[in-house]
Amino acid sequence: MRRPVAVAGSAVLLTGLALPLYWMLVASFTPEAELFEAPRLIPSTLSLAHYRALFDARDFWIPIRNSLVVAGATTAVALPVATACAYAIARLPVPGRGVLLSVILAVSMFPQISIVGPLYLILRALRLLNTYPGLVLPYLTFSTPLAVWLLTAFIRRLPRDLEQAAMMDGASRLRAAWDVLLPLAAPGIASTAILTFLYCWNEFLFALSFTLGPERYTVPVSVMLFRSRYRIPWGEVLAATVVASIPVVILVLTCQRRIVAGLSAGASKG
Amino acid sequence: MTNAAHDRRDLPLAVLLMLPALCLVLVVGLVPMAMTVWEALHGRDLRLPWLGRPFVGLANFVEAAGDSRFVDALGHTVAFALASVPIEIALGAALALVMHAAVRARGAIRAAALLPWTIPTVVAALIWRFLFDAQTGVLTRLLQSTGITSAGFDWFVHPLAAWVPIVAADVWKTTPFVAILMLAGLQTIDPSLDDAARMDGAGPLRRFFTITLPLLWPSIVVATAFRVLDALRLFDLAYVMTGGGPGTSTEPLSLYAFAALMQRLRFGYGAALSITVFVLTFAFALIWIRSMGRTLAGERS
Amino acid sequence: MALTFSGSSLGAEGAVLRSQLDRFAAAHPDVRVELRVTPDSADQRHQLYVQWLNAQSAAPDVLQLDVVWTAEFAGAGWILPLERFAPEVGDFFPAALEASRWRSRLYALPWFVDVGLLYFRNDLAPEPPRTLDELDRAARRSIEAGHTRSGLLWQGARYEGLIAVFVEYLAAFGGGILGSDGRVIVDEPEAVDALSRMRRDVGPDGIVTRSALNWREEEVRLAFQNGGAVFMRNWPYAWPLLQDPARSRVAGRVAVAPLPGRDGRPPVAALGGAQLAINAHSAHPQLAWMLVEFLTAPEQMLERARLAAQLPARPSLYDERLDGALPIPVPPVRQALEHAVPRPVTPVYSELSEILQVAIHRALSGQQAPAAALSEAAAAMRNVLARSGLSPSGTP
Repeated sequence: MRRPVAVAGSAVLLTGLALPLYWMLVASFTPEAELFEAPRLIPSTLSLAHYRALFDARDFWIPIRNSLVVAGATTAVALPVATACAYAIARLPVPGRGVLLSVILAVSMFPQISIVGPLYLILRALRLLNTYPGLVLPYLTFSTPLAVWLLTAFIRRLPRDLEQAAMMDGASRLRAAWDVLLPLAAPGIASTAILTFLYCWNEFLFALSFTLGPERYTVPVSVMLFRSRYRIPWGEVLAATVVASIPVVILVLTCQRRIVAGLSAGASKG
Repeated sequence: MTNAAHDRRDLPLAVLLMLPALCLVLVVGLVPMAMTVWEALHGRDLRLPWLGRPFVGLANFVEAAGDSRFVDALGHTVAFALASVPIEIALGAALALVMHAAVRARGAIRAAALLPWTIPTVVAALIWRFLFDAQTGVLTRLLQSTGITSAGFDWFVHPLAAWVPIVAADVWKTTPFVAILMLAGLQTIDPSLDDAARMDGAGPLRRFFTITLPLLWPSIVVATAFRVLDALRLFDLAYVMTGGGPGTSTEPLSLYAFAALMQRLRFGYGAALSITVFVLTFAFALIWIRSMGRTLAGERS
Repeated sequence: MALTFSGSSLGAEGAVLRSQLDRFAAAHPDVRVELRVTPDSADQRHQLYVQWLNAQSAAPDVLQLDVVWTAEFAGAGWILPLERFAPEVGDFFPAALEASRWRSRLYALPWFVDVGLLYFRNDLAPEPPRTLDELDRAARRSIEAGHTRSGLLWQGARYEGLIAVFVEYLAAFGGGILGSDGRVIVDEPEAVDALSRMRRDVGPDGIVTRSALNWREEEVRLAFQNGGAVFMRNWPYAWPLLQDPARSRVAGRVAVAPLPGRDGRPPVAALGGAQLAINAHSAHPQLAWMLVEFLTAPEQMLERARLAAQLPARPSLYDERLDGALPIPVPPVRQALEHAVPRPVTPVYSELSEILQVAIHRALSGQQAPAAALSEAAAAMRNVLARSGLSPSGTP
């Protein structure tokens, strides 16, 4: 493809992708009254009023804390569990590993709506509704299989010779894995961790169904509930969406390589 | 030791390592799925506890078949998939080609391109709701000033028009995902092939169709599969942007199942509806794997 | 110990509520009362309650329920039957108590009531009509003389308010929606007559403007306020707005009376309002009961009447004490309350209401004959009752 076409094409596509985000940012700093006037690319006045309202009047720290706790806890549990399982499938002679992987992939593809009912009843019986464990457990349903799938793909790609050399030197399987494989797999594990965290941060249906009040709402649910009034307070809603996107943006800008690697690995196996 | 001896010794270890993950999959995944199937065969309504949990066989499914709201929701879901996926594949391929050709600032471009995919769906829904808002929306104003829509036109009040913002938001959000998938495929294409073809005098279009596209095909297949599966499960965007409205004209299957389960509390009927979502995705996956499996098997090197 | 209360808390209502909750907490040293805010719209509040109570959450302890929700929540087992607290129910309006019972057990205490009233222009009709025919004649006189464009105005949009209007016509003709045994009787001759009369009133030769078929409370009030009709059927909230000379063209020329029935029949009124119930999973049921008792005590009800213009649910309060307190004349309101009729008390009320709304609106707009519309609706309603195990012959 010719260079100028490529550059022009990039510019158009990327502008299309970035413009809504830019707009969200600009609008969140625009005073409420001005939002109804003709839109400008660069606003005339910038105001922090919406952000102030967000944190003072609405206590937006609470959903942020909730999302951080739930996403963090899920990632912290899913990764070790999934790494162990992925190692076993990728390196150990497990009978029927193809079937196992298919089942695991299938579970991660279950429509959430198909299991939200029984999960609700189970959590209710265990009195876990509107609690942190009550969200982490359902999140593990999807993040663990996904993590196993991704990590299996990563580990499979790594050459076996280093581990085999270590084992010939007398180390046990686990020892070899710990000392040799783990460092090599670290990028893959990081990718998986990031994708898991992102998934939990963005999740909506389970959070909507299993939390009951502002004390445990996660960020997506909290942001969404702003619009239950007759008039949507766009300024505050958009400020909330900016805040909701900050961790994501940070992760993407710093770790985009990892994210891309994770996605590619997951896809190429399929 | 022989390999076989190694193998036998390692099996208990393998089981131990896999156990936590498999337990999770079982307890929080497979068991609830089975419970949903069981629930769908009963007529439980949480608002009418005195009715108990009578076994009703396939009555819920029969009711769904005759329920016009269900049939509409099914139609909405399939139509949405048919409308959004081709656009996403086409735009994603274009974006991938462009990203592939850009050599400078590749990281920055990739990061910028990824952002729509990684932000929460709720956020994407709200942004696009805002863009199309009748009073404050930039796009609304733009379309009005260019005469494409009349003044005072409210997208969210018209049953068909309300789908446009939803499709737009979905395309915007998932095109980067498709592009990344295809980028991986593109990067395996040997550039010397392309050069050779160019030297043979083949124009850019011809090169695209004879070289790039066939090698890109597996990525397209995978991307389409992922996107259709996701489109059939549409929930977040519809719930946040329109709530299924006006009326129920933008209500996909998942949303109707949710309303029946969690709002109307007809757990039996809602379970049956959510099973249909599962069946729909499962059926698609099976058909896709069958017909595309050959392609993938042949292309995997 | 902390108690949570959940209900509507807008404006003056909210201010009164907060101060009463504070007084209760002050009287009970180790108790804190928290007000859990709910959305303004009744539908959204209903959905939130369903979510909380179905999840068996312990909060809120005390809930404000719309008068048509009690049977639903009681049937689902979400609120406590109150007999264990030996409540005193002698001084509540019978209709309000009826709406607070399910299967003969009391599940809530009436908190405030609302009632349908006939507003009329006393400069055009000095005496309130005592029968439907008198109303009809007075309305037509005014239209013919050119005093007003329309004769009578009511809420005819396809929503819950339409059922209230229908209930009043039904009562005027001696009909009903569900009989005392729970049977569907809305396809019986009296009901068909009532709907036919309603349709005649809004028809081409009628006294109600056809636009009313799209109107809710506020549109009706505004039309009457601008001198559009001699008579209006609305709730008490409209009175102060109508009498405000700064906004209303008819200020000082409006009076209220109970809505008339047919010849020889007593006046009619639809019952609205709210009740207080206790969460079945509350951690402090006894304390919650004390709060309910406190809020429904005469002093608190009178205070709400004075500061938030809400009608007390106790008949004994409708004397001189209320005269200065309420912005609206007390005797006609009291009379209307004595004849108030609740909407059907059943857990599946919202489904029945939906079916009826569609049928009534179709008949009123001329798309279907009243008899056919009601007969179809009755069949659908019987279906719902049967499916829900609520048919009179079946056991719950």
